[in-house]
Amino acid sequence: VQPFAARLHDALGPEIVRTDPEDLAVYAFDAYSEDRLPSAAIVPRDAREVGIAVRIARECEEPVVPRGAGTGLCGGAVPSRGGLVVSFARMNRLLEFDERNRRARVQPGLINLDLSTAIASHGVFYAPDPSSQKISTIGGNVGTNAGGPHCLSYGTTTNHVLGLEYVDTAGEIHRTSIDDPGYDLTGVLVGSEGTLGIVTEIEVKLLKLPDAVRVCVAAFADVETASEAVSAIIGAGIVPTALEIMDALITRAVEAHYHAGYPENAGAVLLVEIAGAQDDAAAGEAMLAKIAREHGALSWRAARDRAERDALWAARKGAAGAMGRIAPNYYIQDACVPRTKLPQVMHRIDAIARDFALPVGNVFHAGDGNLHPLLIFDRRDKRQVRAVVDAGTEILRTCIEMGGTISGEHGIGYEKRETLSLVFTPDDLAAMANVREVFDPMRAFNPDKIFPSGAICGEVGVRGGVRDAAPAQAEAAVTP
Amino acid sequence: VIAKGTRTTRARKKVSLDAYALGALTPARFVEPADAAETAAALRAAKDAGEAVVVFGGGTLQRAANAPSRYDVVLSTKRLTAVHDYDPRDLTAGVGAGMTVAELQRTLAQHRQFLPLDVPFAQQATVGGTLAAGWTGPRRAAYGRPRDLLIGATVALANGTLATSGGMVVKNVTGYDMGKLYVGSHGTLGAIVRTNFKVLPAPAVRRLAIAPFDEELRERAVAHANGLALEPVAVLLIDGFREAAPAARPRLVALLEGSEAVVDRGTRELRSALGAAGIAETRLLDGDDAARAFQSVLDAYAARDGETSLTLLARGLPSEAAARAQRVRAAIRRAETIADLRTGDVVVRVREPAGDDGAPAVDTVVRDLLGRASVLSSGPASRADAWGEAPATLSPMRELKAQFDPQGVLAPGRFVGGI
Repeated sequence: VQPFAARLHDALGPEIVRTDPEDLAVYAFDAYSEDRLPSAAIVPRDAREVGIAVRIARECEEPVVPRGAGTGLCGGAVPSRGGLVVSFARMNRLLEFDERNRRARVQPGLINLDLSTAIASHGVFYAPDPSSQKISTIGGNVGTNAGGPHCLSYGTTTNHVLGLEYVDTAGEIHRTSIDDPGYDLTGVLVGSEGTLGIVTEIEVKLLKLPDAVRVCVAAFADVETASEAVSAIIGAGIVPTALEIMDALITRAVEAHYHAGYPENAGAVLLVEIAGAQDDAAAGEAMLAKIAREHGALSWRAARDRAERDALWAARKGAAGAMGRIAPNYYIQDACVPRTKLPQVMHRIDAIARDFALPVGNVFHAGDGNLHPLLIFDRRDKRQVRAVVDAGTEILRTCIEMGGTISGEHGIGYEKRETLSLVFTPDDLAAMANVREVFDPMRAFNPDKIFPSGAICGEVGVRGGVRDAAPAQAEAAVTP
Repeated sequence: VIAKGTRTTRARKKVSLDAYALGALTPARFVEPADAAETAAALRAAKDAGEAVVVFGGGTLQRAANAPSRYDVVLSTKRLTAVHDYDPRDLTAGVGAGMTVAELQRTLAQHRQFLPLDVPFAQQATVGGTLAAGWTGPRRAAYGRPRDLLIGATVALANGTLATSGGMVVKNVTGYDMGKLYVGSHGTLGAIVRTNFKVLPAPAVRRLAIAPFDEELRERAVAHANGLALEPVAVLLIDGFREAAPAARPRLVALLEGSEAVVDRGTRELRSALGAAGIAETRLLDGDDAARAFQSVLDAYAARDGETSLTLLARGLPSEAAARAQRVRAAIRRAETIADLRTGDVVVRVREPAGDDGAPAVDTVVRDLLGRASVLSSGPASRADAWGEAPATLSPMRELKAQFDPQGVLAPGRFVGGI
């Protein structure tokens, strides 16, 4: 029998297939630290080539792992058992744009921001905006059902996907649409992290650009007070387009790098965006400013123009990258709680970090209750490495206790699969496994992801839970 | 076998079971579990006895699926009405699947919140039934579909277990998004017992504009309604359906929601656009009047008991909705249509569809013209297939059914491709 790599070469040729270890090194890891060389990688031009490779992998009993830009923080793109990596670097085109009906058909390798940029002059945009949007791909976003700061009012990726094309484990190509009768396969595939099918095309919904956008910054004494203000805003029935908090540590790192105009001496800053009809902008801002002041805002400032707004956003979206300036290493956690629990959970996170003697930075989608505590440590210190892993697990447990969950937008991937059993019962997981069984009975697509490995260890993987702080120039890759 | 406290047919008369008949079948047994555990127990009992179960909420959309091939037990969700978790400050609500949509809206309205489910007969329709039927209404263009607002669900499965997915948080990628699978599954995968939603702050002002027009103004009316800068949350072009936003003539119906300033500007823009199209008269309804009139439009999508009309829904592109509806009316003179200019939905109703001698069936004609169309309601004797042509992905769908319900306990034969 011809070996796997040779068969791929024969079928697809050297332009598509990579088998040299040097070439494969870039597919061995994502923004999580686990790494393992695959046996081969392909950079296909279309779904047909994906299908051919998947068929060969199946015959050779090799697993298949799809890959976007590799910005995932939970090891979702790590080829943990080797096999074949499918990179969508070449399938990065906008295939069709229907301005009138606000729809677009795209290939999975299209970079998120490139889509919105390409269509902006037509007055529409693609709403899901993970902070990695400058380099992460729409296909990868579909895999994790990625969120972003603007999900507060627009919803996450799944709310903007109208249909998919995917390759199944037999290498067959299928099309789904949320308008088709039958089970909503589109909805199930989005967020399945490549475990059910390999998405080769995506039809997305676009939104009309708002008439008016205001971005404001409020300073607070500390994160808990800022969180109380956020809870109060949501509690008052106001849903701005974004409500983001950064604590003092993050704000200082961000300002040192970007000079965007955040108040550097504040204990916490709240970034608020109001977008919508021009008629509501002034009244909306006044109302938000009033609630913020009533809940401890020390200052409130509106960006004067588009340049200033963009600078504030660029700094916010580059926050984790900017941490490279001050942190030897850091570990970003992702969890979500009901919004009224924000002040309480922030208090607990602070206490947990102190218990483990770890500095913590907080930069998060406060309006959604979506937390991203960032634990700072030095990986050369074994004690600190252990502390980070334990503190991370403790934070997840705390969020679950408060009625929350262990991932808001990054996914479960390789990192959190054992923790999934803290949230769901065996019966809950069995229902999910039913779906896996139908689409991938051999567990050939992205093995070792999402589902617990069997024995529940209740511990975040020590090897994987920690990683180097990325250099600041790669900020977009690692920002929550 | 059935959990203690569950009401069975023994307490009921035969006549009450007739109310749950579907097609030619009337169930032999009625169960009405009090909670999730009892629901799961009832399904397990049915499975062990080899019985087929149809889950029943308010019954308003039961005709939007084929009649079951077997039907022994009707499982009513009407006692699953608990408010499990509602802190208005979280803008989320978790309620029992048997709660009526109207009751849920009343609960939310006390805190100036709402859930844009847009169902016909909201007083009878249940939250779980709305989801199971995959219902989507006109306001989804502005607020998203019910599936997009669902953040968590608990479902009793055919094997008698309870499976929860999602949670009470608004962003959640913890495990597969199983809620999507149950929404629109017409009770073939499980009985939804609890639903968690992201809810929305209620708009300060709600205004319905009704603009009847003469035939010669149609094209201009549609063009102007499509070109509004400030988009209403729903824009419908209604032909026939005299009971919906009542009028005798064809009419544009637009729903405006938002702050007073936004709704006022929207009204001005709408009036000026319609005026430019030559439509002089636009009737405006505010507040409860607007809500009632909008509900009358939604009610038109589904027939009342005893009606024999056939109503079909075809999805498509918003830019083509008006023309598609027109094509149907040209082919079927008696056809009444609603063209949803924002979502692209086309709703077609034909009263007494079986009246013609030897003429092709109405559903066949509509499907020939519009492509895929599903039945929203039909008379008890209707032979129209609810789904029409099955999608190309039928094979994984069949496998999902076999995996979740290998014995065919749940609603056998009701769904796409005989699932």
